Amino acid sequence: MVQFANVIVYSYQYLLDPKVAGIISKELPKESVVVFDEAHNIDNVCIEALSVSVRRQTLEGATRNLNRISQEIDRFKATDAGRLRAEYNRLIEGLALRGNLPTTDIWLANPALPDDILKEAVPGNIRRAEHFLHVLRRLVQYLRGRLETENVEKESPVGFLVSINNHAGIDQKTLKFCYDRLHSLMLTLEITDTDEFLHIQTICDFATLIGTYARGFSIIIEPFDERMPHIPDPVLQLCCHDASLAIKPVFDRFQSVVITSGTLSPIDLYPRLLNFHPVVSRSFTMSLTRDCICPMVLTRGSDQLPVSTKFDMRSDPGVVRNYGKLLLELVSVVPDGIVCFFVSYSYMDGIINAWNDHGILKDIMQHKLVFIETQDVVETTLALDNYRRACDCGRGAVFFSVARGKVAEGIDFDRHYGRLVIMFGVPFQYTLSKILLARLEYLRDNFQIKEGDFLTFDALRQAAQCVGRVIRSKADYGMMIFADKRYIFPNSFSITLTSKILNSLIKG
Amino acid sequence: MSGSHSQLAKKAKYKTTIKDPGTPGMLRMTLEKFMFTPQNPKSANKVDMEFRFIKGQKHTKEDPTKEKPPPALLNLTDRQGGSYIFQFDNFSDLQHCRDFVGKVLSKSGEVSERPTVTCADEQLSTAEMELRMKLLQEDSELQKLHRQFVIGGILTEAEFWATRKKLLDREASKKAKQRVGFKSAMLSDIKGSSDGRTNKVTFSLTPEIILQIFAEKPAVHRAFLSFVPNKMSEKDFWTKYFKAEVLHSTKNAVAVAAEAAEDEDLAVFLKRDVILENEARRKIRRVDPTVDMEADEGDDYTHLPDHGIVREGSKEVTESQQELYRRNLSQDINRHAAVVLEGRAVDVELEDTRAIAEALSRSKQVNGESDKDSNQEKLDRISRMTEIEDLHNSHDLPLAPLCIKDPRDYFDSQQANALRSSGDLLPGNEQIKCNLSTHEAYGSLRDSISAIKRGGLKDPIVKPEIAFQVFDALTHSISTTKYNIGRNPQESILDTLPKKTKEELLHHWTSIIELLRHFWSSYPLTTTYLYNKVSKLKDAMSQIYRQLEDIKGTVQADFRHQVSLLVRPMHQVRTFNSSLSKEKDAMVKG
Repeated sequence: MVQFANVIVYSYQYLLDPKVAGIISKELPKESVVVFDEAHNIDNVCIEALSVSVRRQTLEGATRNLNRISQEIDRFKATDAGRLRAEYNRLIEGLALRGNLPTTDIWLANPALPDDILKEAVPGNIRRAEHFLHVLRRLVQYLRGRLETENVEKESPVGFLVSINNHAGIDQKTLKFCYDRLHSLMLTLEITDTDEFLHIQTICDFATLIGTYARGFSIIIEPFDERMPHIPDPVLQLCCHDASLAIKPVFDRFQSVVITSGTLSPIDLYPRLLNFHPVVSRSFTMSLTRDCICPMVLTRGSDQLPVSTKFDMRSDPGVVRNYGKLLLELVSVVPDGIVCFFVSYSYMDGIINAWNDHGILKDIMQHKLVFIETQDVVETTLALDNYRRACDCGRGAVFFSVARGKVAEGIDFDRHYGRLVIMFGVPFQYTLSKILLARLEYLRDNFQIKEGDFLTFDALRQAAQCVGRVIRSKADYGMMIFADKRYIFPNSFSITLTSKILNSLIKG
Repeated sequence: MSGSHSQLAKKAKYKTTIKDPGTPGMLRMTLEKFMFTPQNPKSANKVDMEFRFIKGQKHTKEDPTKEKPPPALLNLTDRQGGSYIFQFDNFSDLQHCRDFVGKVLSKSGEVSERPTVTCADEQLSTAEMELRMKLLQEDSELQKLHRQFVIGGILTEAEFWATRKKLLDREASKKAKQRVGFKSAMLSDIKGSSDGRTNKVTFSLTPEIILQIFAEKPAVHRAFLSFVPNKMSEKDFWTKYFKAEVLHSTKNAVAVAAEAAEDEDLAVFLKRDVILENEARRKIRRVDPTVDMEADEGDDYTHLPDHGIVREGSKEVTESQQELYRRNLSQDINRHAAVVLEGRAVDVELEDTRAIAEALSRSKQVNGESDKDSNQEKLDRISRMTEIEDLHNSHDLPLAPLCIKDPRDYFDSQQANALRSSGDLLPGNEQIKCNLSTHEAYGSLRDSISAIKRGGLKDPIVKPEIAFQVFDALTHSISTTKYNIGRNPQESILDTLPKKTKEELLHHWTSIIELLRHFWSSYPLTTTYLYNKVSKLKDAMSQIYRQLEDIKGTVQADFRHQVSLLVRPMHQVRTFNSSLSKEKDAMVKG
């Protein structure tokens, strides 16, 4: 199908995630024009594509998978030993010559793997199926041991490799081949229900990534979630910090790559993040025939106290009350739909509960029905559908949503579905997250991007993304309120933020 | 109909002031008056009042959220400012009386102004009568016409309304009684009142609240149907329910789980609602495809386990055992809003809890049946949502339906006609002799023929100047009207007239239209009844024409010309009719 189509529309993952791209996008000709639309979050997608997290459940599942594979191998040995031997011979020749990988288009078929890996012969110690299984068992065992830690640990891939070599006796080259070796083995064993084997695939994925890249990654082991220290939930995360790694094969392979979005601002940051040299870089202004947006910044509540979602202020009852009053006043005058964005799910839950306790929510409901985005997709979908119905029938409604959530990313609140959008607070990332800190450090050291700049940039694109949901065409109109004192004050924050948001809004 | 609609009797207390404890007795209402007879026949507080003296009514509103409902009071104020306050036992009595008084009052506005004109041969239902009254009240112009012709005896009531069938139908199709929906406010605020000393919390329930609980929590509804009254009494049921609510409000999932393990009946309320989840699965098939996030969840690989970065707060981890008992406010709010939006499906008198529960399940069954065509509905919705406007023919037809609402529009176009006729007199045309005798015309023709004979056809045949003059004369009126009308649409001739004259003219205009409508609808004249009607109409019209002439005479000299311009088309109508009617008369007689 891919060969015959003129235009193909699909998710980023099909091109950026090495595991998927190898299956789906390998047949695209070199002359294809690749367009990344709505690419304001492309760096995050790239990073996600190369990140793996391992939990206890993963390891348990992987062990089960290994047992099943070993049974299969025994069965094949008894019935069809020739197959396994044929595979062994193929592996000596190198991965590239294997039946399932075409020799052409190697780059895209396996963008995560450097060229040499495909021509090299698979190391001798994992060529035989049983030996490979032994290696995997040792790896799983080793990871289990690492998860038992009491403290948060952070390590570089190089250090981790050394440790694996010492404790489990697996060298870097062996790890590098894990993913493809598993793939080959599963083909040989004619395993069709690949969904059952996700856990062991995750482990091999992890092994290959760690064996391939020496920089741009770090391994973080957390024994529990920071916000819930009493619940042990160890997780080992291999997180990618360098967005350019995943997108590099795309730049290398295709003649023209276009990155476009309404909210690429500042535009010069993207080439640095993705490590490429743009041939053409343009931003276009949108011409509006009338003032169809009314942006406002609200820094103080009705009692003249400043409002903000800054960490030290967000749980202040005064701020919560002021935000509630603001919404209450607006729901009583704005017709049709209103959308509110909060900085995170936990903050939204907290503030809704507080409003409920103070009776503010009840007052809001006197004017409009309230719908809330939850982490349950089905429920959110139904809530959205009901929200639209409420707007259609003229009753009007309020939708509570979360910046960076799925609704903020993909759902339009055009026309009467959104006449007002309120951004409660500035949607900064959770700055205490170990992963974010590691990434910031990497960006500072390697790309000379300051932590503050990156955080501001990130918050800004999210805010612009949220408020931009209400204006989807020139004929549309709506009001936007940024409710946080930091949208104006220059402390710790760029004074030009708001103007930047507005600029980027007008652009797109 | 007349039994329930023309009179009504309710138990009530009569109060002279709000503070007055009130005299118990019987309140009777008929279409003409209301009477209050006290239980104690010796009591002086007897009331016998005709509705035509009553100006308006006020009443207290029901508020189920309050623990102690306010008294159901109805206050009727008369034209002198005095008031009659009645207190009812319950709100449904109040509502009946309120509706009744409302109807009577809207009618009596009419009644007091004129005697009802109903012909003996007409058997009209009260409802229809009311409808007509209402229409007349709403439209003063209609009322004027009605008074002029029906009461003036020119048209019968039936004839008058026959031409307005459409109006009546439209009005009648509106639902007589509006159904009250659910309140927007959440129920979460039925806070129990605790007496502070003991650990006891008291909740009060009204049928309204019960209905809402059933609608929002299908599990409770089902539990009620299966438990009450076989397994436990209604009181026990609600006690258990509120116990569960209180447990939830502590937000301690572990404690909830522990309680549920002990008492399996209680567990019904504590567990997550399975019915809701099934319903959600069913409903998700019908959502707007543009917001269906569930459908494209598989598009990216981030939902797979262990893939990508565990984002802040995006994946919550809790023990599965307790997960069953977790419930959050967001879900409740969403559910509440959805129920409010669906509206009330049950239309029964809210008295018995059992009845409510059963009615609700009946209405759900009906909904369930309608789900069968949900597939088709979904397809329709998809095609509607994914419609690309550019690829469609424009929907609007090339015709605009004719609809003259404002007679002034007609005047304006008549003005154009008037100008056209007066355009003949404009300078530039003066040289052209318009009235030629036959002889002269013949002579001119001969002249030109002989001229052509002499010199052959000239080139050009027609002199450009003459052609231009002819063209100009022909198009003049068109261009000038356009010019005049387009320039200042507000200032039609009508608006330059004095207000009084203008109104009179407009009124006559609508009258003539009305009469003509009946006039033409009577053709062909097959019966003597119709003949009589037509002649009556003709008389009425000629009267109006006389009045029009009078208007012409009374207005100031400046306006006289304009008025006559306006009146002329109306007269044209007259001449047209009268000649035609004569013809037809002759036909009938012959």
